[in-house]
Amino acid sequence: MGSSERGLKFAFVAPALTLLVLFNVFPLLFNVALSFTNAELVGSQSDFVGPANYARIFADPRFAEAIRRTASFVALAVGIELVLGYALALSIRREFRGKALVLTTLLIPMMLSPAVIGLFWNLILNGNYGILNQSLEYLGVPQPQWLTDRDWKFTSVLLIDVWMWTPFMMLISLAALNSIPQSLYEAAEVDRASAGIVFRRITLPLCAPLLGLAVLLRATDALKQFDLVMATTGPNDASTETLSTLLYQIVFRDGKLALGSAFACLVLVLVIAVATAFTRYLEALERRPA
Amino acid sequence: MKFARWSLIFVYTLLASLPLLWMALTSFKSREDAISQHARFVPTAQASEDGLRNTFVPTLAPYVALGSVHSGAQHSFWSYLGSSVVIGALSTLASVLLGTSCAYGFSRFRIAGAKDWLFFVLSTRFMPPLAVVVPVLMMYRQLSLTGTHAGLILLYTVFNLSLAVWLMKGFLDEIPRAFEEAALIDGYSRLAAFRTIILPQARTGMAVTAVFCLISAWNEYGFAMTLNSSGAITVPAYFAGLQGNIDGMPWPQVAAGCLLFVAPIVAFTVAVRRHLLRGMTFGTIKQ
Repeated sequence: MGSSERGLKFAFVAPALTLLVLFNVFPLLFNVALSFTNAELVGSQSDFVGPANYARIFADPRFAEAIRRTASFVALAVGIELVLGYALALSIRREFRGKALVLTTLLIPMMLSPAVIGLFWNLILNGNYGILNQSLEYLGVPQPQWLTDRDWKFTSVLLIDVWMWTPFMMLISLAALNSIPQSLYEAAEVDRASAGIVFRRITLPLCAPLLGLAVLLRATDALKQFDLVMATTGPNDASTETLSTLLYQIVFRDGKLALGSAFACLVLVLVIAVATAFTRYLEALERRPA
Repeated sequence: MKFARWSLIFVYTLLASLPLLWMALTSFKSREDAISQHARFVPTAQASEDGLRNTFVPTLAPYVALGSVHSGAQHSFWSYLGSSVVIGALSTLASVLLGTSCAYGFSRFRIAGAKDWLFFVLSTRFMPPLAVVVPVLMMYRQLSLTGTHAGLILLYTVFNLSLAVWLMKGFLDEIPRAFEEAALIDGYSRLAAFRTIILPQARTGMAVTAVFCLISAWNEYGFAMTLNSSGAITVPAYFAGLQGNIDGMPWPQVAAGCLLFVAPIVAFTVAVRRHLLRGMTFGTIKQ
């Protein structure tokens, strides 16, 4: 390979990689440095304070609380979306008239802006005049105060997330179902296998690798949950505070820049762990015999 | 079993589309009709005297009101929509160009540590915006980029690079190498071969990538809000700013704005429906 070829290769990849390093690696290092100071959002005074910010984080139950809540949000949202999405994919699997139209309609929510759609959900979920509670009243079912009752706020955020992201799970489930060779089902029919056995021995195991990919993709996204919480209850709400909204609260409402940076560092360790799990999984998938 | 299948499809389609239908209906109502305790969902020409009826007289007033400046905001909805268009379009253009070039490098050349680089690129997508926003904010203050279009365009360009590189690499890998090798033998330079052979073949891929970049820039909220504390500039940040007083929300205007804001996304979704799987999984699943 000539030196001009080498220069060209560099010219192709360098601009994008430089930007990515500048906007990702630099903030990471900067966050670490900032986390050992007492910098605030307003004013330029800042001194080295050692690990004091980290000590505060481990002493303040708000942080552990936000981590726990985010974890249960990820588990519940991804779990419900997976089961519902897979069930939908199984029902919609076979061809029927108007399938393309139904599919596209189902997929639209996941493409929309959570911040904007979440805002409109406030009208739907309103306890006094919301259409949801009016429908529940019509059906004779109890009508919770979705957005103001402490015990229901979390469920409301979960509900909107499930509405938005179940289609994603359905989409990947459909791809997984379509990749199963028809010959396996034919063989099962020859063997007179029951529907339950076919599902447990063929359908589910062969879907598993792609479902795993879907779960990881969705989990990394749910871990960032910010927009829907901001759109419904806002930050600093004891029943819906997530990692991201707590970061927002600390940095932009309380103005504690350095404390926020320390927390961001801890969150990033968590994110990097999940991201690593994801890339490992992807590599394993690629090595899998097709 | 068959009944269960069809009822699941029917009920879920209803649930998936009702909120958006409700949004469309609300955007043609008066505020009083929008927050009535007896849902009004039947448009009629004649106002009913009886407040308990489920009818309403459709009006275009909410759309007209989008032109006026709402209390607490600095500009009208249209100005923020314009910003969203400019920021979305320019950042998409930059992401697709940079992403295609980078993906071509990884697709056709032997690059040391290529796999690690690609995974690094992908992992940038997993960063929560709120965890990196402080350093970005400090950097932007130094460069006077806070509250500017250029600042968000740059940020969204970088934010979407992971998507653009991975999607484009998938598309470029599918173009047979024989095409450009033949061109190279014919005396084309590498760059000329890229321009005349690869780019035309990659057009569909670039269009699909552009749609996904545009949608994610269009929908972004975390950076848009935190980097523009002095004046929200894209629509998601503008809408969030209206939220201070929920009971005083101008719901019909909000619905009208939401509808106009999501309509292009619905159109784009329909346009790329056959590539949705690929786009949503960074090209890791191709079908």
